[in-house]
Amino acid sequence: MNDPTARPALRATAIGQRFRGNQALHDCDFEIPAGRISALVGPNGAGKSTLFHLATGLLRPTTGEIRVFGALPGSRAARARTAFVSQDKPLYPQFTVAEMLSVGRRLSPRHWDQAKAERIVGEGGIPPKSRIGTLSGGKRTRVALALALGKQADLLLLDEPLADLDPLVRHEVMGLLMAEAADRGITVVISSHVLPELENVCDHVLLLRDGRIRLAGDAQDLREAHTRLTGRADPGTPDGLPRGADRGAVVHATTTGRQLTALLRNAPGSPLPSGVDERWITATPSLEELLLAHLRSGPRSAAHGAEAAA
Amino acid sequence: MTGTLWLAWRQQRLLVLAGALLVAALTVWVALRRADLMEAISGYDLSQCKGWNGECPPQTYAAMSQAGGGIRLLGAIGLALPAAIGMFWGAPLIGRELESGTIKVVLTQDTGVRGWFAARFGLAALCAVAVSTAVAGLLAWWWAPIANMYDGVYWHDPYILNASGPSAVAAALFALAAGTAIGLLVRRTLPAMGVTLAAVLAVAAVLTFFRRDFVTPVDRITPGTQPKQLIGSAWSAGYRYLTPDGAQHPLENCLFSGERLRACMDEHGFTGRVHKVYPSSDFWTFQAIDTTVYLLLALALVTLTTVRLRGRRLG
Repeated sequence: MNDPTARPALRATAIGQRFRGNQALHDCDFEIPAGRISALVGPNGAGKSTLFHLATGLLRPTTGEIRVFGALPGSRAARARTAFVSQDKPLYPQFTVAEMLSVGRRLSPRHWDQAKAERIVGEGGIPPKSRIGTLSGGKRTRVALALALGKQADLLLLDEPLADLDPLVRHEVMGLLMAEAADRGITVVISSHVLPELENVCDHVLLLRDGRIRLAGDAQDLREAHTRLTGRADPGTPDGLPRGADRGAVVHATTTGRQLTALLRNAPGSPLPSGVDERWITATPSLEELLLAHLRSGPRSAAHGAEAAA
Repeated sequence: MTGTLWLAWRQQRLLVLAGALLVAALTVWVALRRADLMEAISGYDLSQCKGWNGECPPQTYAAMSQAGGGIRLLGAIGLALPAAIGMFWGAPLIGRELESGTIKVVLTQDTGVRGWFAARFGLAALCAVAVSTAVAGLLAWWWAPIANMYDGVYWHDPYILNASGPSAVAAALFALAAGTAIGLLVRRTLPAMGVTLAAVLAVAAVLTFFRRDFVTPVDRITPGTQPKQLIGSAWSAGYRYLTPDGAQHPLENCLFSGERLRACMDEHGFTGRVHKVYPSSDFWTFQAIDTTVYLLLALALVTLTTVRLRGRRLG
């Protein structure tokens, strides 16, 4: 599953995207490994949707190159292997649910699975004859997912699929996606700014901020490469961190009263950051803690420093 | 292709139905009114009323003039048709897909952008041609028995020159292409409809008000103060005075008639009068110009649309 020689589902080389003088993505290099569930995380406006539009060929990158299973996004080969649910879940409001599924059946006939699409819609209690325009947001999301899953693509791109769903439906939909991924071994990329819902699901992470990749890699490896540090703030240092700790390895630190909580990168080849002794409580951070720390980290961090220097 | 064609039909079937109903209603109306006209003018010799020559007997004139209002109304419908097609069929064709984001669903299916656009524009173009041909044909059919009659509707009236013949069909195609391209560029339906209306009216106005600059009229020369040739069915483009060297001088030099005219012409050395006219056969010249302009513009706009669609700024 983690075979490093396998061809990635998505490979971006130095892609940048500019909209009317506004740089949405800067020089992004990344790979999405095939057969895994990746989380694309970042605050609103970080460039997540732009990345999806580039991966589906709805946009062409201003600079650089992006490939889907080696093919140019938007090409016949790439289209047939990609399914996409965009953030706003657009559907034709005047169509019935059955007609909306017909759009998938007739426009993506190659691998279309009508029974699966109908089952997904049916499990949501949505009558096939009802108009899209009369459905609630959650039901519309279900129809959009049925349209994407019915296509039986190898790469499933989902832009904020769970936003505006109540927790119960969110759980259902997540289960649906996991079952699909397990059944067919497909690659899934889910973007979200709601971190907990990705914690137990994703095994690969791509963190996007201000149009740059801030963190990318296997979720477990990334967690193990960091340490969460808690303890009494060291009164001998201005920042409360241990005297010997490498300040460049600090991703984010907060002090509440005398209590310090910090997330640090581990020293190379060590399960701990340098300069940390037994007076501190160390733990492997959860994925959410890790992502939050990187989202919160200020301009001192290396990637951000590079941006400031540029 | 069949999938995209199904989608095009599913999305445009109400417009197709509206177009078919319009044509059906107009056909019934014109058939009834034209039958009335034929009955009214039967037994009259219409040849005396040909052209603006003032020899038309009052009863004959009364018999045929009852159709004039209806023909003008149908002509007005024909004049408005391209703008309506551009606004209600062209502008939403891609504009609404961009506005609602549904283009993202459609263009991430197996079918490509080319097949999708070809199907929906093809269906719309076919219907635009069918409806505009029907309206132009009905208009010509109704007008033909009393064409270019005294005080009636003439070939050079925009009702006939713009709303009948091949140029009316070309105008509908142009308006559809303009609406489609503007929808793609503006990305929102309602503003695109407004811009389309303005663009279609502007091109029609330029062709209508400046068409006489593109065609040279025929000079009808009468020596001295001999009575002029009657205008007939021709379209007058004004008078000039002639000097022996062949030069033409504006009408304002001598505005009088009879003896005062003779005196004025002698004084300026004018030896004849020129009546500049477009004979009724120029109908086809004007039609050819309008048709060519409309078709070239339509071609350019469709090319622009396909290039922009392939250029991908759709997300």
